[in-house]
Order: sequence, then C-alpha cells, then structure tokens
Amino acid sequence: MARVSIDPVTRIEGHLRIDAEVDAGAVQKAWACCTMWRGIETILKGRDSREGWVFAQRFCGVCTTVHAMASVRAVEDALHLEIPANAQYIRNLILIAHALHDHIVHFYHLSALDWVDITTIPKADPARAASIAEGVSSWPGNSRHELEVVQNKVKGLVASGQLGIFSHGYWGHPAMHLSPEMNLILFAHYLQALEFQRKSNQVVGILGGKTPHIQNLAVGGVMNAINLNSLATMNMDRLEMLQSLLQDLIPFVQQAYFVDACLLAGSYPEWLTYGRGVANYLAVPDLPLDARATQFDLPGGVITDGNLSSVRPVLDWHDQAIRAAVAEDVTHAWYQGKGPQKPWQGKTDPYYTDFRDDGKYTWVKAPRYDGKPMQVGPLSNILVGYASGHPLTRKWTDAALDRISSLHGSRVAVDGLQSTMGRYAARAIRSAMLSDVAIKHCQLLTQNILRGDAATFNPPQFPQTEIAGVGMHEAPRGTLSHWVVIDKGVFSNYQAVVPTTWNASPRDENGVPGPYETSLLGNPVADPSKPLEVLRTVHSFDPCMACACHTLDATGREIAQVKVL
Amino acid sequence: MNQPNSAAAGRICIIGLGNVLLGDDGFGPLVIERFRCEYNCDASVEVLDLGTPGLDLSPYLHGKQLVVIVDAVNSDEQPGTLRVYEETALLDRPAVLHLTAHDPGVGQCLAQLKLAGQAPSKVFILGVVPESLALGSGMSASVLAAVPLAVERIATLLREHGDACRQRVVQEHPNLWWRARLPVEPAGASS
Repeated sequence: MARVSIDPVTRIEGHLRIDAEVDAGAVQKAWACCTMWRGIETILKGRDSREGWVFAQRFCGVCTTVHAMASVRAVEDALHLEIPANAQYIRNLILIAHALHDHIVHFYHLSALDWVDITTIPKADPARAASIAEGVSSWPGNSRHELEVVQNKVKGLVASGQLGIFSHGYWGHPAMHLSPEMNLILFAHYLQALEFQRKSNQVVGILGGKTPHIQNLAVGGVMNAINLNSLATMNMDRLEMLQSLLQDLIPFVQQAYFVDACLLAGSYPEWLTYGRGVANYLAVPDLPLDARATQFDLPGGVITDGNLSSVRPVLDWHDQAIRAAVAEDVTHAWYQGKGPQKPWQGKTDPYYTDFRDDGKYTWVKAPRYDGKPMQVGPLSNILVGYASGHPLTRKWTDAALDRISSLHGSRVAVDGLQSTMGRYAARAIRSAMLSDVAIKHCQLLTQNILRGDAATFNPPQFPQTEIAGVGMHEAPRGTLSHWVVIDKGVFSNYQAVVPTTWNASPRDENGVPGPYETSLLGNPVADPSKPLEVLRTVHSFDPCMACACHTLDATGREIAQVKVL
Repeated sequence: MNQPNSAAAGRICIIGLGNVLLGDDGFGPLVIERFRCEYNCDASVEVLDLGTPGLDLSPYLHGKQLVVIVDAVNSDEQPGTLRVYEETALLDRPAVLHLTAHDPGVGQCLAQLKLAGQAPSKVFILGVVPESLALGSGMSASVLAAVPLAVERIATLLREHGDACRQRVVQEHPNLWWRARLPVEPAGASS
C-alpha cells in the first residue's frame, strides 16, 4: 500500500491537496483537502447590498463575472425585484461569452497536457495528421501547412530546451497513448485557442465595459445605456460588432473544440469507465428568456443514484425544494459547529486541527442536498437536460455520442458520460449548446430594442424588515448560489456555496465522501510517484480553489508536489 | 458605456495583478490606480487592474510591444523591497515557478504566446515583497511605502522605452473602492 499526496493540484491560484491510498495499481481511499481558510464572505457583512457584487467579483480572479452575477441575483431575489428583458439578454450574453472562454481554456490550456504528449510531436507526419483532422471536421485550421508550422515550432522549442514550461504532465508516461499525429492536431488547436479566448473576452468587454471585472451590473438590471442613435451607448454598431465576434467564435467551438473532445474520448475509451464518483447531479436553469425569468435556454434538475429516469426538473430559481434541501456540514472541515447548517444561518468560525484521516482535514465545508453529496458542473447540466428530453441538449449529446462511438468501435450510451472522460465531453457539449444560442440572445436583445424597449434597470427599494434571498447561476464549474440576509439594505449574512465546494466536499457526519473523493476510488495508478491518472480525474472537474477557499500562500510552493509516503 | 479595454487596443500595457481583498496582495491594483491618477499617457498605453486572472492574462499580453506587470512576489528579502525582474526570470524556470503567487498564469501565458508568435516584445515585472496576505487586513506600512517608488518606476520604464507619460498638473482622485466602507442610504431611499 502506497500513500500518495499531491499538493496542490490546481494550476490556477488556490490550493487543493489530494491524498490517495494506492494498492494493486488502483486508488482504494482518497481525501480532498483545501489547504487555505475560507472566509471571504465576512468581507461582505455590513456592506450596502447594492454594492456587494463589486466585492464578490474579487472572490476569485478567474470566476469574476459569475460571482458578480450570483450576488445581484441574490439581492433581487430577496427583494422580489424583476429586471427588464434587455438586462436579462445583456447578462446572458456576458455569461455565454464567459463560459465559452472558460471551457476553451480548461480543455486546451489547463488539462489537454494530461493527455497530449508534446514530446512526440516532432515524430508526427503532418500530411497524415491533416488527413485525420480533415476527415472529421471542416475546421480550416487543420491544413497540412498549418500543422507543419506548429510542428516546426515544437521542434524549435525542443531544440532550445525551453520545453520545461509545458511540463505539467508526465511525458512518456505509459498512460499517454495518443499517436504523434493526434498530439500534433490537439496542440495546434491549443495554440489557435488563444485567439478565441481573446475574442470571447472582447464580447465580455463590450457589454461589461471592462474585463475581467465587469462594470455594468446593478441590483435591478444593468447600467448599459441603450440608444440606437447615440455613438456613446449600446447602438446598432455595437450590436453588430457583438454578433460578428460571436460568429467568429462558433466555428472554433463546434468544429475544433467539440470535435477534439470527442476525438480524445474515442482515443481514451477506458476513461469512460473510470471516475464516475458521486452519481447525484444538481444543475439550476440559466439563460432566462424573459424579464420574469420563467423560461430558460439551459434546463435545471436533480438526478439521484445515476438514474436518469429519476430526474426532477428545476423549473426556475423560485424552486422551493432547493432552498429547503441545501445545507453544509462541518464534521470533517476545520470549523466549529455540529450538524448541517442552512446557508442563511451559516457560520464560518475556524477550528484548525492538523490533517486527520478520520477527523477534520480540509477548509472546504461539505454541502449536502437532502443529506446527499451532489456532483455539479457541465456533466450535471447535460444529464439533467438529456433526461428531461431538452432538444438542444439531446442534439449535441447525441452528436458527441455518435462521434465517440464510431472512433471507439462500439456504442457508447449516455450513461458512459458518468465518468472522468464524460466530464470533458460534457463541457464540450455544453460549449456547443452555448454557441448555438449565442446569436439567438444577441437577436433577442436587438429585436427588443427595435420594438422601442430601452429599459435596462428597475430601481431597488429596501424594506425596514430583514429579508433573505438566494442568487443562482449555472456557472462554468457548476451550480453557484449566493445566500444573503439583508437588514435595511445592508448584508447581515452572506454565504457563497460555490461549485468547487460541492465537488471538493469532504466526508460528512455519516462518513459519506464527496465527489472528488468518490470519483478516485478504483482510479488506476501505474506508478505512484507519477500519479498522472489521479490528476486526470481531478482535473476533469476543473477545480478552482480560489473561491472554494481563499487567500494565497505567501511562501510559494511547487505546482505539483508529489510525495509517496 | 465605457470603451471596452479588452485587449490589443494599445501597444503598451501596464498591468496590476493581485487580490485587493488580501492585504499586501493588493499592491498591484493600488499602484495601478495611483499611476493612472498621477500620470497622463498616450492612447497607446493601457493601464489596467486585472486582479488575479491566471491564464486569462493572455489576451492582455497578446502582441504588445511593452508590458509592465506590477505584483507581489515571493522572496526572502525584506518586506517592502521593490525589484524589477525581466521576462527571463520567468521563462528560464521549469513549470515550477516561484516568483509570484500568480506565476502559473504569467509564465505559462508568456510561453504559450511565444509559441503562437504573439508574445509581447518586452516584459518587466515590478515586484514588491509582501509582509502579510491576510484577508481584509489592509496593506502593511512597509509595502505602502513602496507604492510611490513603484509609480515612479513605471514612468521611468515607459520613458526608457521612448514612450511619453507626463505627470498630471492636477492629479485625479484615486478610486480605492475596496478600502472604503460604503455609505448606506436610509432604508427606502431609491438609488
């Protein structure tokens, strides 16, 4: 029995440590530990609730927009404040562009190198690589010439000895088995993706005034002025510029990213069998289509025990069951308190012990839904949509399953997505769906303005009494909820239950482990000193510990410290 | 609505990195705001507080001639020490980078852009050694003392590279929203 400790696992700020007991080439037991104290919400207490979003978007530098959005939605929910249709569409476009950006960066820049071995690229035959790529996609960036250019760059990098900067993965690891040609195709798209990261960022900038910290939100709507005859406001030029940026993005998402994710899944079919983990799924509806937020483009729902026919649709943000079901347990987290706490009554009083396998071992609380751990993220999105018969979800999920099945040589059903590779595929399916509706939301906004509606903001009125609300958003990493209590316009409590808290949850009072921990059981580990396979499963959730728990390490540590104990 | 600052608008980018909620990690954003208020630059110079963007930094480095990044750095030197680092300090290291808390972003972004042929021509890191990165604690005296030096250093770097920036005759008032308690209007007052 070897005990492997990987610290930290995320490649963006924040610290996640994974401990695993490995025996007979597989993980037998796992612990997810967040090594930094979570307490950022205390900063919000006592502040004007209209300005909370400005602070909330500094929770995390990567997920800025999503916290801003959840914060204003929470206050609007507490006030029962409807926002104008234009404000919904402008917010939706920001959320779509942000999510596309985030998913593209996750696939190519944060996790592709767990699967792609760059060191084999000099051996690739560019003509063969082009013929493989052109055989599955009409993406123009797959030409032989294009691939040759990329191959030469990699050769140059190898010769210069500067490859080290890309050495996050373990090159030459036996679990890497893509052909040199496949590695070349995926790495070419890795470089091309930078351009599309920039374009989606521009969309957020046009609407939000600034990126990465948008300036246009307000409790009650958005602050974008709409006047088709004024150069300084949202006018026809701006709307056309938006539409054209989105139109540039769509082919990359649908013909490069989506196809690559299917290629990867078809080439590593064994990863459709590992990493299932907690099979309870939660997603909330998002991209509202009307001012009152009664209809949505992305469906929400709850699935338990991996049984898709058990789906309970969540129709809107007023869903009482979610409000009643969510509670956080601190039995195994470094906080005081006993038993599950509802977020509105939630406290964050630290109680540090050291790392104790059977006691407290993390700064992340254990959120539970009716007492159950839940997996959140694009996979939950896709499964609840598929199970509810949502046409857009079915369209892209079936397209992905067809592609994966034809590469794999046998039929992969939707249940196969409940796996490590399924989480990668689901993120690409969700991106294809988002890119499908992007233009629609641009047109909804344009048509509404052309009908003469220029409203973007309904002013909030705060009562003398204490009120409570929850702001929900289906963020790139999954269901995000901000729970607020407001007294005379000022926050008296603030709790953020973020996607990574659900997924990185520790064991609860009944000893039931969270999604990361469960997903690692049975995960193969060929060489405990190079636990690439563990990283693959953990990275499949796209961990972002910066908001799951906050503050940075002053001493600076190695990116992936692996200890075999 | 403001003009979008989204990348590639100018040739030069002055970037503050750090989390304003975490003590001395707010150095970058504070220096950026002070510089913006004290100096007037050409339209080709963008002055941006980017928080802690990780890999989302790339769009702001893309194709620039000159980039100056202001950040807190990890070092054994005295808190408040200010140093200028060149890009090689980041790229000569393997994937494991110690220079700043946001390094997984800066180093990898630069390397990616280099391969894609879109890297900035010149990059400087203006780094301060922090004393405390505690949540909501505000900045320590030693690090605050380095703020005016850093502001001046940015101006010097710009001038050394032939780019005009002039000290404003009338300085703007810095918007340090994260350091202020927000006034609350009486209940029922509309905004």
